[in-house]
Amino acid sequence: MKLQHYLGGLEGLGPVNTETRVFVEPWETRIFGIHTAMMALSAQLPLPQTPSAFHTIWTWADLRKGAESLNPFDYFKYRYYEKWLGGISGYFIQHGYITEEELDALTEEYYAAPSKPLPSAGDAAIDDRVVQYLVEGDSPARDVPVAAEFSVGDVVRIANVPSVEHTRLPGFLRNRTGVVETVYPGAYTYLCDTGPDGIGEAMTVYCVRFDPNELWPGNAEPNFSLYADLYARYVAAVDVPLLVKAA
Amino acid sequence: MSERFKYRDDREAYSAARVRALEALLIKKGIITDRTVNTVLEFFETKMGPFNGAKIVARAWVDPTFKERLVADTPKAIAELDLPDGMAGAEGEHMRAVANAPGVHNLIICTLCSCYPWPVLGLPPYWYKDPTFRSRAAREPRAVLAEFGLPISEDVEVKVWDSSAQIRWFVVPERPSGTEGLSETELEALVTPEAMMGVAVAKAA
Repeated sequence: MKLQHYLGGLEGLGPVNTETRVFVEPWETRIFGIHTAMMALSAQLPLPQTPSAFHTIWTWADLRKGAESLNPFDYFKYRYYEKWLGGISGYFIQHGYITEEELDALTEEYYAAPSKPLPSAGDAAIDDRVVQYLVEGDSPARDVPVAAEFSVGDVVRIANVPSVEHTRLPGFLRNRTGVVETVYPGAYTYLCDTGPDGIGEAMTVYCVRFDPNELWPGNAEPNFSLYADLYARYVAAVDVPLLVKAA
Repeated sequence: MSERFKYRDDREAYSAARVRALEALLIKKGIITDRTVNTVLEFFETKMGPFNGAKIVARAWVDPTFKERLVADTPKAIAELDLPDGMAGAEGEHMRAVANAPGVHNLIICTLCSCYPWPVLGLPPYWYKDPTFRSRAAREPRAVLAEFGLPISEDVEVKVWDSSAQIRWFVVPERPSGTEGLSETELEALVTPEAMMGVAVAKAA
């Protein structure tokens, strides 16, 4: 069990941070740009081939898995883009694109001489593909026939699926009942196969409404509703046993 | 929370050097170009950003039938407007708008990460990405909104939308009173990312 899968409802954290900036340090812009380029150059996308040496898959799921695998205290300790920098550097090392030694050595060089310029190189086709990805996106919708098991207004129970590395089921909704608010037309994949957690293949997605009095018995604010978008894998009939939805 | 943790004294200088080293290596090894990161950043300064969301909201304020269409079929309504290419692009492939109304206040959250509607709002601000906000807003949205300076009375229903699958949500705030004489362009200036996520309301200048 990962705390990162169960953040919703966690108490005792103190006041919220109301910082409205997107980046609080100039260096953060660079890791955001690198991440977005990696998503755009990721091998599974049906985009034009480029001379880029990037030949593996990098999606949001990879970034999220990295953040979810952190020590939960480190998850709170480090700022958003600090976590990105750690996760993305680790990915390039792990996949053999760079070595830790050369990254450490060059970090020392730039630490000593922060204004030392970046190298000049690269084929414009790489940047064209990055822009094409941003403009066209990567829709998870798939044109495959799926039959939605539930309809608007149905009472459903959220399954307690065996999530391991990664999930899109907010932990605080497990075993709770809700009411189907929307059945999204079509079928939706997820960025990766989450294994026993059960998403990846195209399936229906529901928007389900929850009563906070059931989510947080005796500890809910008045007059509010919580809605979550949930893959069909996570949505079960109310009479299904609590432990796990049949695969 | 940062006072709870110990950081290296050169925290930012070290990260700055490390990300520069990483970018340099990626350029040297032919993974990205010397223009790639700037290309991404310029795209978010000029094509995808809260300036698009502001135009959408201002149109909804001056044209109630557009607002109805926007809530009923968000991508289709957005496509009516003269906005940059990419309004159904990355992180905006499936967007839904929810409208505030007398008696209803909407708040968008993402308890698992930081899903955000890039084409219309650009990149998420720090408050949205912060784990404390994401934790607390799921149980005590009124307390959280009060900390943002937005008290919501108990007779107003708060609807909290957790972005956990394909939909990227945003809020159409209510048009502030005292803006009857303003042009659509003047109205756009009143629409903030915070109002389009629900931790603020739009205010007359």
